[in-house]
Amino acid sequence: MTTLSEKLHVVDVEAEAERAEDTSVAADPAPVLSVRDVRISDRAGDREIVHGVSFVLTPGRAVGIVGESGSGKTLTCRAALGILPAHFEVSAGSIEIDGRDIAGLSSAEWTALRGATISAVFQDPASYLNPSIRVGAQVAEVIRVKKGVKRGEARRQAIALLRAVHLRDPELVYSQYSFELSGGMLQRVLIAAAIAAGPRILIADEATTALDVTVQAEILDLLADLREETGLALVVVSHDLAVVAQLCDEVLVLRQGEVVEQGPTRQVLHDPQHEYTRLLIAEHEQYGLDKFLAPQLAPTPDSQEDA
Amino acid sequence: MTTTEAPAVPDVRRTVAAARARHTVGRVLVTLARSIAIFVPVFLVATFVTFALRALSGLSPARIQLGEDATPEAIARIEEQWGLNRPFLVQYGDWFNGVLHGQLGTSWTNGADISTLIGLGLGVSLSVATFALLIGVVAGFGLGTLAALRRTTWIDRAVTGFVTAISVMPAFVVGIVLVAVFAVGLGLFPSAGYIPAEQGFGPWLAHITLPAIALSFDVVADVARQLRSSLVAAYSENYVTGAVVRGLSPRRIFFRHVLRNGLGPALATLGLKFPSLVGASVVTEWIFGLQGFGRFANDSAQAGDVPAVQGVLVVSIVLVVVFNLVVNLVLARVTPASQRGV
Repeated sequence: MTTLSEKLHVVDVEAEAERAEDTSVAADPAPVLSVRDVRISDRAGDREIVHGVSFVLTPGRAVGIVGESGSGKTLTCRAALGILPAHFEVSAGSIEIDGRDIAGLSSAEWTALRGATISAVFQDPASYLNPSIRVGAQVAEVIRVKKGVKRGEARRQAIALLRAVHLRDPELVYSQYSFELSGGMLQRVLIAAAIAAGPRILIADEATTALDVTVQAEILDLLADLREETGLALVVVSHDLAVVAQLCDEVLVLRQGEVVEQGPTRQVLHDPQHEYTRLLIAEHEQYGLDKFLAPQLAPTPDSQEDA
Repeated sequence: MTTTEAPAVPDVRRTVAAARARHTVGRVLVTLARSIAIFVPVFLVATFVTFALRALSGLSPARIQLGEDATPEAIARIEEQWGLNRPFLVQYGDWFNGVLHGQLGTSWTNGADISTLIGLGLGVSLSVATFALLIGVVAGFGLGTLAALRRTTWIDRAVTGFVTAISVMPAFVVGIVLVAVFAVGLGLFPSAGYIPAEQGFGPWLAHITLPAIALSFDVVADVARQLRSSLVAAYSENYVTGAVVRGLSPRRIFFRHVLRNGLGPALATLGLKFPSLVGASVVTEWIFGLQGFGRFANDSAQAGDVPAVQGVLVVSIVLVVVFNLVVNLVLARVTPASQRGV
């Protein structure tokens, strides 16, 4: 049985070597993503939505952002990806990806950066894949464009990637369309497409929210494996404390655009300082108990509303 | 991977490749079968209704050949010659058999073979209609794409305004204006007539350009509007965000992801436009003095030449249905999700 890293090794030898170097100088690795006091405003309504978020992410680490819907979790991620919706802008603070401030990036520079350095997966994976193109071809497209390899080679690497994200029968999945696959399989395909060009940061924005619990656990395991074995840095956005607790070293608790609590996961979960964090944890315990007593509980409204 | 597993790999690959090929072929076959399943009943019903026209109209070749004051005996004799005294279904079966063999019967007015007459007119009409479609597709796609890429800017508004303006211009008005300006006024194009392509490509093109432009306005407008709205809609889809995040360039995202999904409605519009192109050709052929299919249909109807009108209808049905079949197949290829069914 081959391990995940061995499989990925086939896919991207160079990026692998680069990451190995990064982890070897683990004493004080350079941050791949640093967010400093970022504030995001809605120009149309002339109001500030996110009031100062800061965190630093080094290779192989994971930061979790929790909070209710509308708390600015997704906007913060979108700012880091340079895909804020129209009228929204970073009004203060700075974001650096791999040492580069994103404020002055041109469209072409963004294109070069996305996929290769920073990438993302989202909730509702089906909608993030083109329904008219076979899913495998969409993974291969990223490899072909970003790494400049030939069609046949890109196809081979894409199949290797699909296998690496634990898809059974990757060759068959390669030639299927998004409407022919289940949610869990689609999220795996989306993750494969996101890591195809060997990014150093992966943003998982509610990536497991729409999945059922067992599939969610598998996807979280996959993300943990990727992080451990390739040195991928993760930003995990979720309204679910359990997801964040499982994956992250550091947690930010956001409420109405304000960071109300920030610190190591263990500390925040065991010794919450802020009232809101305590509420979240208390509600989670309650919710967990309910779930235990009534397994067919309806999904929380948050899973639908948080875009 | 161990070496013992190695020989199995090519085998697996071949099986998967074969499965994929079957998948694709199966998809096309299903689309084809579905389209033909629609084609056959449509054709049967349409030809039946077409053939029933004679019985409903009460027209007879005897009236055309003998005039109004013919004796009942003479009329009966003529009708017997044409086989019109036989039971209706026998006549229909006979005629339908001929249709399947490409024989549309003989004209009541001049005894000429209708298939030949229609063939002559169809060359003219198809030249004009195809050219009109080509102009419609090129200009419509250009304008629609431009408006979508510059959405909500003044360019978008200008294109939308222009397209709305030309969409309300009837083909005959446009035709008359084009003749007045470009043929009579500037003398750039011949004002009327037709020269087959075999006698020279240049003159052929010159003769069909103005009628094709007149016919194309409607297609340009519909394709442009449809394409603009579906491209704008496609741009707001999550898979575009997905492609952006994967680091694909805006150009690639447009051509490979947005355009492909935005194409469906515009293609479907083309399928709907084709019948109206055939219909509008009657008026345009009249203005441009073309002896086309539309003109032939009109003349036949005026003369009460029922077999000719039936022939025209059969050919129209085949044209429209075949064109839609082609559109369906292209759609199945471009947007496979459209074939999912409900």
